[in-house]
Amino acid sequence: MRRAVLSCAALCTAIPLTLTACSGGGPAASGQAKPTADPATGGTVHFLEKPDFSHLDPARGFDGGVNNFYRLIYRTLTTREAAGPHSDGTKIVGDLATDTGRASENNKTWTFTLKKGLFFQNGAPITSQDVKFGVERAWDPDAGIGSPYAKQVIAAPADYKGPYQSGDLDTIETPDERTIVFHLKKSYPQFSSVVAQPNFTPFPKGTGAKAAFDTKPIASGPYEVANYRRGSSLELVRNKHWKRSTDTVRAARPDSFVWTFGLDAATIDERLIAGQGKDINAVGPKVQPATIARLQTPQLKQRTLAGVTGCTTYMSLNTTKGPLRDVRVRQAIEYAVNKQTTVDALGGSALATAATSIEPPSIPGRDATDVYPSKDGTGDPEAARKLLAEAGQSKGFTLTVDARANATEQAVAVAVQQGLKRVGIKVKINTIDTSTFYEVIGTPSQQHDAALTGWCPDWPGGTTFLPPLFDGRLISDKGNSVLSMLDDKKIQKRIDEIAAMEDETAQNEAYGKLDAEIMKRAPIVPLNYSKTVLVVGTNIAGAHTSISYSGGIDLVGIGLADPKK
Amino acid sequence: MLRYVAGRLSWVLVILLAVCVFTYVIFFQLSPDPAVMICGKTCTPERIDTIRTSLGLDRPFLQQLGDFLRGIVAGRDYGSGANLVHCPAPCLGYSFQSGQSVWEMVLERLPVSVTVAVGAAVLWLLGGVTIGLLSGVKEGTWWDRSTMALALGGSSIPPYVLALALQYLLVVKWQVLPFPAAIPFGDDPVAWFQSYLMPWIVLAIGYACLYARMTRANVIDTLAENFMRTARAKGLGPVLILRRHALRPALTPIVTIFGMDFAGLLGGALITETVFGLNGVGKMASDAIAKNDQPVIMAVTLLAAFFVVIGNVVVDLLYTALDPRVRTTAS
Repeated sequence: MRRAVLSCAALCTAIPLTLTACSGGGPAASGQAKPTADPATGGTVHFLEKPDFSHLDPARGFDGGVNNFYRLIYRTLTTREAAGPHSDGTKIVGDLATDTGRASENNKTWTFTLKKGLFFQNGAPITSQDVKFGVERAWDPDAGIGSPYAKQVIAAPADYKGPYQSGDLDTIETPDERTIVFHLKKSYPQFSSVVAQPNFTPFPKGTGAKAAFDTKPIASGPYEVANYRRGSSLELVRNKHWKRSTDTVRAARPDSFVWTFGLDAATIDERLIAGQGKDINAVGPKVQPATIARLQTPQLKQRTLAGVTGCTTYMSLNTTKGPLRDVRVRQAIEYAVNKQTTVDALGGSALATAATSIEPPSIPGRDATDVYPSKDGTGDPEAARKLLAEAGQSKGFTLTVDARANATEQAVAVAVQQGLKRVGIKVKINTIDTSTFYEVIGTPSQQHDAALTGWCPDWPGGTTFLPPLFDGRLISDKGNSVLSMLDDKKIQKRIDEIAAMEDETAQNEAYGKLDAEIMKRAPIVPLNYSKTVLVVGTNIAGAHTSISYSGGIDLVGIGLADPKK
Repeated sequence: MLRYVAGRLSWVLVILLAVCVFTYVIFFQLSPDPAVMICGKTCTPERIDTIRTSLGLDRPFLQQLGDFLRGIVAGRDYGSGANLVHCPAPCLGYSFQSGQSVWEMVLERLPVSVTVAVGAAVLWLLGGVTIGLLSGVKEGTWWDRSTMALALGGSSIPPYVLALALQYLLVVKWQVLPFPAAIPFGDDPVAWFQSYLMPWIVLAIGYACLYARMTRANVIDTLAENFMRTARAKGLGPVLILRRHALRPALTPIVTIFGMDFAGLLGGALITETVFGLNGVGKMASDAIAKNDQPVIMAVTLLAAFFVVIGNVVVDLLYTALDPRVRTTAS
C-alpha cells in the first residue's frame, strides 16, 4: 500500500463496517434491497471512478484500489478472506495454495502446495514454475516497482535482476508441479501475508516483458480483461477456465464489470445519488465530504456504506529542529493539539475518529492507551503549558508545518494551528503542492519542523507500521519515511528483538507495547483514524467494505440484487 | 505565394523548437523529481536512483533534450535486454506514471477534444456573431442593450460554475439530458449529441459573449466609415449595404481571433473536460500536472503550441483571401 494520504483512513476491526443499514432509523425505502444483501448471479456491475488504475501488471501496481481490483483477475498463493457480514476481510487464507504455508527452519523456509484444477485464461494449467516466474519479476529493474516485500524477504544474489535478465532464482525451488519452496534471508513469521501481495501472481514463463501485462494481463482469477482503454474504460468478462470449486474467497456473481475512468468527483456523487439508468448498478469511490450532509434521507441512508481505511493521520515532529529537540516541548505539543478539531476538519465523525495511539484499532495486538490523555482527544493545554515552562519555552515559539495544497489537508492544518495557539505556539502553515509534497517532506534537508501526513500498513500487524516510521537506521537523505528523524538506539534494539520473534501474535503484542514506548519520546502526534463513506446504486448487493483495501468495497463479493435491471 | 507559405512554415518549426526547449527546461529541470512520486511509500535512495536511471533522468540535460528531439523526428529505443522497446517517430516518450506511449495517449484523447472544440465553435460563431451583428445594426435599441447586458453577464460566469449549474438543472432536476460521457459518434449518434451538448454550451457561452461584443463594435465602427456614407448616398438599401459592404471589413478581425481561439481549444478544454469527465487532451493535461507526469505535460504543451501556430498560419492565409490589401503585400 502506498503512503497514506491524509484523507485515507484506518483499519479498525472495532468499528462496525456498515454504518448505513443500522443507522437509518427511518423506514426502509420500498422495493430496495440492502446493499449488503446476497447478490444474484449475472448482470454487469459498473464503476464510476476518478483516475484509472496505476498498473494492471501486479508486479508494478501497489495501492489499496488496485490491490482490490487485482483479486478479480489474479490469484496469489494466499489471500485475505472476503469481507462480509461475519468477516472483516483481514484473515489470510490459502488461494492458489491449499493452506497458508508450512514453515520450517525457524520460519526461514516456507513450503506451499498448489490446489488441483488451476488454469490461466488460455486454458494452460497453473504450475509452481508459473508462480516462481511471477514472483521473480519483482526483481526486474523495470517491472518490479510494486510491493517491496518479495525482494526484502526472499534470499537472492545481490546482482539478481529478474527472470528476463538473470534467469531462474535458485532460492525459490519447485520440486514438482504443485510444490513451491521459498528460502528467506531470515526468519519471517508473517510470510503467509507476504505471499498474498499482488506480485505473487503466477504468469506463464517468459511472458510479460515490455510492460505487456499493463494492457493485456493473463488472468488466473474469475475474470479476464475484454476491453481496456487506458484512462477511459475497462471491461472484465468471465474467465471460462477459472473453477469455482478451487476458490473459497471469490463469489464472482456478476457476469461482467465495467469501469468508467476520468470522472469528476462531484459528478460521481451526483450520478450515484440521482441513480439514473445504468447508474443503479454502479459503485463509486468514497464520497466527497460536502456530499455527506445530503445522505440523510432514508432512501440514501439505506444505500450508504461506511468503511475504515486502516491508516493513521499524523503530524510528524522533526526531532532535530530548534525547540523540538527537547522532548518536553514535543510532549507539550502532544497535549496542546485538539484531535477532535482535526476530525471535524476531515468531515466529522463519519469520516474519522480521534487517535490515541500510533497504530490504528485494526492492528492486532494494538495497545490503545493514550500516553497523553485528554477528554475526547480535545487536548490538555494546562499540561502543555507546564511542560513548556519546564523546557523554558513558556513564551512560545513558531512552528512551521508542511501541509498539502488541498482543502481537507489545509483544514487539518488550521485545526492544529488553533490547538497550538492555546499554549502560545504559533503555527506557520507551509503549503506544498500535492505533486511535490512527498519529495519535500522525504528530503530531510527540505522538510520543516512538522509535516501533516499519514500511514497505512500493508497487512494488519505492527511489522509494516512501526519500523518504517521509527527505525532511525532507515533515515536517508531522500525518500525518507522516518520523518521525525528519531534515531533512538533503544527503539532500534527493540525493533530487532521483535522481528526475531517466532510467534506472530507475540510479535504484534510487542509492537503494541513499543507503540507506547515510542509515544513517550513524542516523535509524532497521531491525529485521527480516518474512515470512508460510500454510496452505491439501488441494485447493488454483496457490498461489504474491507479494511484491507483502504475502506473500499471488497470487489470479490459484490454483485447485483436483480441482474435483469 | 508558395515562398510566403514556405517562409511561414519554417517559422512554425523555429517556434515549435523554442517551445520545446522552454517546456523541457521548465518541466524537466525546474520541477520536482518524478522518481520520488513513482517510488511511493517504501522508498530508498537506491530505488530512487534506479527509477531515475530507468526514466533516463540521470543523464546530462542536453543529452536528454537531444534524445527527446531526435525521438520526435526519428524515434528512439527505451529500456534494455528483454525490456527493450522501440518507440517509433513521432516519439513523445512514455508516461512516467502509466508507462503508456504518450503519442498513443494523445491520439486516443484527441477526438474527444476535437469534438468538444468543433461543436462549441459552431455554437459560439453562430450565436455570437449573429447577436453581435444585430446589436451593431440596431445600436442603442432595447435589443442591443439587453443582449449586451446578457453578454457581459455570460462572460463573467466562470465555466465550472456554469457547468455544474447546467448539469444540476438539465440532468439531475429536469432529466432532459444524460450525464455527459465520451460516447463515440458511431456507437449511438443521439447519445453522442446529448452527451456533448452541455460541454458545447458551457464552452460556447463564454466565447459567444465575447464574440457578440466584438462583432457589435466592429459593425458599429464599419457602419460609421466614409465608404458606408458613400454607399448610402448612392441610394443602396440597408440590407445590401450590410451584406455587400459592411460584413467583410467587420468580420475580418473575427477570423483572426477565431483562428487563435479554436486552435487553442484543440489543445484541450481543461476545465470543461474535467468537470464533465470527458477524457480529452485537456483532462489528460490536468491529470499529468497533478501527477508530475512530465512526458505527458510536454506532449500536451507541444500539441497546443502546434495547433496555435498552425492556426495562425491558416488565419494569415485566409486573410490574404479576405483582405485584398494583405494579398498585395503578401505576394
